[in-house]
Amino acid sequence: MQNNSCSCKNNICSHPVQQTLLRFSLFSFLWYTLAGPDKTSWIIGIPAVAFATVLSQMLAPSSRLRISPVGALHFIPFFLRQSFLGGIDVMRRALSFRQLLNPGLVSYTTQLPEGSARIFFVNTISLLPGTLSAELHGNQVTIHTLDLSLSIWANIQRLEYHVAALMCISSPGKENI
Amino acid sequence: MTILYNCGTVLLMAGVLFFLSGTVGLLRFPDIYSRLHALTKADNVGLGCIVFGLALQSGSIAVTIKLILIWLLVLIASSASCHLIARSAMQKNIQPWTRS
Amino acid sequence: MNWLHTFFALILLLTIGAGVIRILKGPTAADRMMTAQLFGTCGVAILLLLSTGMNNLVLLDIALVFALLATLATLTFIRRTWQGSGKRKHDYPL
Repeated sequence: MQNNSCSCKNNICSHPVQQTLLRFSLFSFLWYTLAGPDKTSWIIGIPAVAFATVLSQMLAPSSRLRISPVGALHFIPFFLRQSFLGGIDVMRRALSFRQLLNPGLVSYTTQLPEGSARIFFVNTISLLPGTLSAELHGNQVTIHTLDLSLSIWANIQRLEYHVAALMCISSPGKENI
Repeated sequence: MTILYNCGTVLLMAGVLFFLSGTVGLLRFPDIYSRLHALTKADNVGLGCIVFGLALQSGSIAVTIKLILIWLLVLIASSASCHLIARSAMQKNIQPWTRS
Repeated sequence: MNWLHTFFALILLLTIGAGVIRILKGPTAADRMMTAQLFGTCGVAILLLLSTGMNNLVLLDIALVFALLATLATLTFIRRTWQGSGKRKHDYPL
């Protein structure tokens, strides 16, 4: 884990104090969105936000969770596009008169380190076209696919690369892009 | 203004269509895993279309952020519970349906 | 009252109605639970449509709570009912 030092030069929030401030403002923004512009709501809001900040620092310390803004900028359009394609794919198979399914199981070995990166990876697999993460044993992910003839490996590798860039992990599959 | 509103209406229609096909998939697909595909993907994209359509029609930033927040919550929740259902089905040795 | 949004909400309600067939057919408890998940997502979508159609922003908050509760129901079902308590090989850190 220690070897996965941040490779992103543009990661602006690596200092712990900065991290805490960033989280505090994020939670404040969340509170503002949920509670609305009424000022009296901050009587509860400020303690709640402070509590959430402390709790999140305890559960996911900044040394373990790094999110690169540039990685996020690349990840969000990729994710939106892929999940939209996934929806179209399911729609096509569900509405066609012929049975278009050719399901099967595929095994994939991920190089992402254990922890939030891997969990995030496994959860996003289910939103990609035609793939669904069925089981996770160590670094082995069992994937159920709707169509064995899809290019599942290439898709998953691309996702893995994007997740690595998002989480500031020196990327395992860069040459595949 | 009206252009934005009409774009929003088109997105809403797309969203409803995604929901419909998700339910058709849920009823038509042969085993639990492929039904999970239909449920998770079609419904999340459908909700996404509806969220962005309503955001275009509302024209208010506060409402838009709240809508996106709801969508994100549903996304995280359904992908996690989808993985959990698939994993429990694997552990119960429910075999996936295959073509042959 | 905006008729377009109400009409869309009505179609989604019919979709939920069709999902009941899956509850009746099963075959496993998880298939039935998946329909419950469909009810959750569809319910959120209906509430969002109605919040614009009836111009009532309180419905957005209800949709938020609805999303949370539907999730909790599915997770609790998987962890406590369907999976059994002693059979887990490794924990899934949520």
